[in-house]
Amino acid sequence: MTRHVPHALLRIFYSLLAIAATTALLSLAQPWLSTPTVALLYLLPVGISSALWGLPSGIAAAVAAFLALNFFFLPPYYTLRVLQPQDALELIVFLIVAITISQLLGAVQAALARARAREREARHLNELNSALLGQTDFASICRTIAERIRMTLPGGQVGVILNPDGHSAGAECYLPAEARLRPTRPTISLPIQGMRGLLGELVLWAPPNGISSEEEQLLTTYGLAAALAIERAQLAVAESRARLLAQSDAFKSTLLSSVSHELRSPLATIKASVTSLLSEEVDWDTRARRDLLQAVDEETDHLNLLVGNLLDMTRIEAGYLEPKRNWNVLADIVRSVIARLRNTLDPQRLQIEVSDDLPLIPVDYIQMEQVFVNLLSNSAKYSATGSVIRVTAAPLEGGWLRVQVSNRGPGVPPEDLERIFDKFHRVTASDRVTGIGLGLSICRGIIAAHGGRIWAENTDEGMAFNFTLPLTWEGTAPSLTEIA
Amino acid sequence: MTQQPLVLVIDDEPQILRAVRTILLAKHFRVATASRGEEGLTLAAAQQPEVIILDLSLPDIDGIEVCSRLREWTQVPIIVLSVRDTERDKVAALDRGADDYLTKPFGIEELLARIRVALRHSARAKGSPKPIVTSGALEIDLADFQVRRNGVEVKLTATEFKLLAHLAAHAGRVLTHHAILTAVWGQEYADHVEYLRVYMRQLRKKLEDDPDHPQILTTEPGIGYRFVVEG
Repeated sequence: MTRHVPHALLRIFYSLLAIAATTALLSLAQPWLSTPTVALLYLLPVGISSALWGLPSGIAAAVAAFLALNFFFLPPYYTLRVLQPQDALELIVFLIVAITISQLLGAVQAALARARAREREARHLNELNSALLGQTDFASICRTIAERIRMTLPGGQVGVILNPDGHSAGAECYLPAEARLRPTRPTISLPIQGMRGLLGELVLWAPPNGISSEEEQLLTTYGLAAALAIERAQLAVAESRARLLAQSDAFKSTLLSSVSHELRSPLATIKASVTSLLSEEVDWDTRARRDLLQAVDEETDHLNLLVGNLLDMTRIEAGYLEPKRNWNVLADIVRSVIARLRNTLDPQRLQIEVSDDLPLIPVDYIQMEQVFVNLLSNSAKYSATGSVIRVTAAPLEGGWLRVQVSNRGPGVPPEDLERIFDKFHRVTASDRVTGIGLGLSICRGIIAAHGGRIWAENTDEGMAFNFTLPLTWEGTAPSLTEIA
Repeated sequence: MTQQPLVLVIDDEPQILRAVRTILLAKHFRVATASRGEEGLTLAAAQQPEVIILDLSLPDIDGIEVCSRLREWTQVPIIVLSVRDTERDKVAALDRGADDYLTKPFGIEELLARIRVALRHSARAKGSPKPIVTSGALEIDLADFQVRRNGVEVKLTATEFKLLAHLAAHAGRVLTHHAILTAVWGQEYADHVEYLRVYMRQLRKKLEDDPDHPQILTTEPGIGYRFVVEG
């Protein structure tokens, strides 16, 4: 537009120059050339002008050549008068041919330019779309669009403002950043229009030499691409939210059904024992009273463990499981777990091979306790009463510690080795073994949060849980490991 | 015979208050109860209890705040009794002046044991500071920098002694990692728990009958350590 006017004039000037040069050359060669040859040779700059500089230049060249031919090469020379009718015919034919050639070449050239522009537009659009592919947050979509526009229009300043929800909680990006503060109104401001209304706005302050209509067209196309990308992102967000809701619904319903069973059974025992003791009809002897109270004590511990696991699972689900790391002695952790479990797990069954001299481990003490409590409870639950449960630990190559908790139980079908760490997954029917199937899943959550890995395997004697823990914390070992 | 010790219980759950009061009265303690933080602070000032049992979740002010405000004027032992079981809460309460921490649900025997320890601790603090602390076969002479086990002197490095002396001087109390490191190594080592781990292992090897099952220098899971004074 603004840029076109001087350009067009310049091109016409070039074509006139070409005719002038041709005229000069032909004047020099005139003694050896016949008039028809001269006329023929004039078609050359006319054609070149149309091809290089477009239709207006071509026509200007044709007219100039027509005048020059008449003026310099047809007698009487140096006038525009024509003596011979034959010459007049020749001139008219020349003009028609020259203009026709200009028009044809100009049309071809215009078509070519349009094709090129379309190709460029398609390429830009394609690049934009592939850059936007997979982007689901508005800020990065915004940034990508702004960057692409700026690549297309290097001198311009651009702003992309997205507020897809109709309020200000969208995103905006100005390139360069100071464009945001620019006091002048933008040269162009384009709405980003989606299926369900306005999604945002593209604004552009044109570069000093203006922008072409092609570029303006490209900007519109970018606006459309932006609208598509935003709607795609909105769909993706909506879909993942829906999936999350469905998952958490499934989680809740499984939780409710197993929790109501698992929480009620210890409560039933407690209630029965306590109401028995309160009853005035029976005179309990010391032994019976003690048995009843023992049951209450054990069941409250059991309930407490269950509630703890439920809370941990909720924390893992909600993503709150940030380990509070510190350098710890694994043997300390194992010892305190054994002390905690003394009511439910006979210490005689345990064979602990965890040396006090193992390297320190950067772990959350409480969370690691939980891992051992769950692995040991699980091992005790699924193996014969009185059978040995073994805990071993040894450093591995490359800064890892490997811990194994093994039991002499019947083992797990190979296809379940991975799945036992899933929520609510249980190999045995739920009415035969107590528990809600969260323990191992919590272990996996905690070990993963520490950067380690947990897996189960069947052994010659039974089965074993293994897990690894890094011996370094943010890449470094403890600053003191031994007293010199 | 002197009067029975007075225990002030600050907890907003009536069931817990009832249970604790019943058992403490049965054990011949005198008991005062408060269900709000401000009420507890007033009672503490008016009745001068020997031990305070404090819940952290109170309807008016946070238990940790109650701790700090008590510590402005009294050194009465505070045992925190709370359902909050994260390390952060425990460490916060201990660092703000609590002596001990018990997580709900708790066994009553455990609570009684902690109360006894607290009472001994405060009795010791009231009397002239004794330079000799004993625990089982262990005897620590804080003035003479000497440690004897079954009457035989144990050689400790300067840092080991400093650490042991700090723990023994606060016998019965839970000391957080942060507090121990700051006192023994200095502020800039406050986060180097690995120092503590290494030195505690060393101390246990020298002082405990069975270093794998420490009876004197016990670990408070995730929180810190405690010097246990037996019987």
